[in-house]
Amino acid sequence: MLFAQLLVNGILLGGLYGLMALGMALVWGVLNIVNLAHGALIMLGGYCTYFLFKGAGIDPFAALPLAMLAMFAVGYLLQRFVLNLVIRSAQLNTLLITFGLEVVLTYLAQLAFSADFRTINPSYAGANISVFGVTIPLVRLGAFAAALVLAAALWILLERTRLGRAIRATAQNLVAARLYGVNPAQLYAVTFGIGAALAGAAGGLYGMVSQVTPYIGASLTAKSFVITIMGGLENPFGIVLGGLVIGIAEALAAIYLGPTFTDAISFGLLVVILVLRPARSLGAA
Amino acid sequence: MLRWLLLALCVAALAALPLIGDEVMIQYGIDALLFATVAQAWNILGGYTGYASFGNSAFYGLGTYGTAIAMAQLHLPFGVGLALGAALAVACAVIIGLPILRLRGHYFAIATLGLSACLSAIIANLDIAGRAVGLILPLTRNAAMFYEDALALLVAATLTVFWISKSRFGVGLIAIREDEDAARVMGVNTTLYKVAALMLSAFFTAIAGGIHAYWITFIDPAGAFDLTLNVRMVIMAVFGGPGTVLGPVIGSFVLTLVYDTLASGISTAAALLFGLVIVLAVIFMPRGLWDLGAGWRQFGPRYLLQNVRMHRL
Repeated sequence: MLFAQLLVNGILLGGLYGLMALGMALVWGVLNIVNLAHGALIMLGGYCTYFLFKGAGIDPFAALPLAMLAMFAVGYLLQRFVLNLVIRSAQLNTLLITFGLEVVLTYLAQLAFSADFRTINPSYAGANISVFGVTIPLVRLGAFAAALVLAAALWILLERTRLGRAIRATAQNLVAARLYGVNPAQLYAVTFGIGAALAGAAGGLYGMVSQVTPYIGASLTAKSFVITIMGGLENPFGIVLGGLVIGIAEALAAIYLGPTFTDAISFGLLVVILVLRPARSLGAA
Repeated sequence: MLRWLLLALCVAALAALPLIGDEVMIQYGIDALLFATVAQAWNILGGYTGYASFGNSAFYGLGTYGTAIAMAQLHLPFGVGLALGAALAVACAVIIGLPILRLRGHYFAIATLGLSACLSAIIANLDIAGRAVGLILPLTRNAAMFYEDALALLVAATLTVFWISKSRFGVGLIAIREDEDAARVMGVNTTLYKVAALMLSAFFTAIAGGIHAYWITFIDPAGAFDLTLNVRMVIMAVFGGPGTVLGPVIGSFVLTLVYDTLASGISTAAALLFGLVIVLAVIFMPRGLWDLGAGWRQFGPRYLLQNVRMHRL
């Protein structure tokens, strides 16, 4: 029974992990930027949802689209006016500038929102349902469902719309896409905006199942990294699958190996996958 | 010749600091020197070979723990501790390097990212390493000694990098950075070269960790395997100019000075400005302070705009 409960916990958390990584994978695949500020964007999304809930009294699940809209604007502006300036610089430099942004966002958040722990706790926060003796918290189930819906929405956007075609074309060949009338400055900004919006949604859900502080960014970035590599860059559902693997591995490791190993396990898995199947992850990029 | 004289004078002036400076100044000095050393060590692999390592903080942690275990648990002298730490780190570099150095670009960076977390988890479960509680080293109140040790280590690391920049080995590393397949075709034993670069990098990083451990006398897994230290190495080296002999040293001195000056005001604002400096530096001087020096002499302020024009979309 313990095993089944752990499995369910892992799956529910894993879905959210997958959503966290979706935005990073999109930006990485299309813009070739490994966005170290991704976790900071998740953090900002968490605060957005928190203040919409606490300040304006909007149900957190209903507040998610608003938070996503706000984060889209943040992401769009960041890419348009900052990151587009260095996009052709050496890869290490794009890593470095996004790290600088992560520091700036983290400490701006600390100045603006203080270092207090914030939890988004709607009236149904403690409710859960029981299936065959396995307890399923409603909020986590809702977060899991929202993650799946957003992954599906991203897939539809990429595969079935004009914008999605332009994004995929740019990821494959920037010069050719440009010749077909894609405006890269605009498209990069929109793509980064979508990535930030997904991060924002993940942040809002994260605030419901855990706590938001200005400093959660770095570890969430690291986790998103691992999942992105595992899932590959081309398919949103691959990313969600990667999130599930990490979620389940962490839940099992915490009980059977000890809680100090939860972080080590995801990186250990990553290294094993990278070393055993480098061609697969490289080919996906 | 003049340049060498000037450098020797700088080192002599730095070495004389404990004679005139007060305790606080020496403390800041030790910090700055150790940061410069780890940035320089990172430069061997990240700057010259083009492999951005995020695993160097693991070597730092191994140096820290090697020294601490030797001194606190086995009651051996400091020198033996440093040697043990360095041996652990170099051994780890070989074991980890052989599989991981097959990965390129981002994938290498990310694979190394987990190294610190894994080692930290292992150490936190070892009895001889004091588990999660940590170890306490014998107390020595001789800041001047630590300062001179750190300075000697930085000079040794910088001379090593100078030798690399002039040697066949270094040319091989640069060839790997520019085009690894071409380097292989030209007869460079790429695996051997990359592992050797990682070993050198690990060696200096570990010794710096050992000196730091003995100086602060208390270590625990979270502090010893701190990933933010690795991020600082990268920033300092890249800020100064990766793949140059003196760039990383100058970069870390400047950044440490900026950070400490700001931090004496308000700490949140200091971190914020630190982040802004990095963002602006990447936009306006993507090849570091060292290149800024050369570029400014040639083009003046236009150098900054040229960089933006060259790298924007």
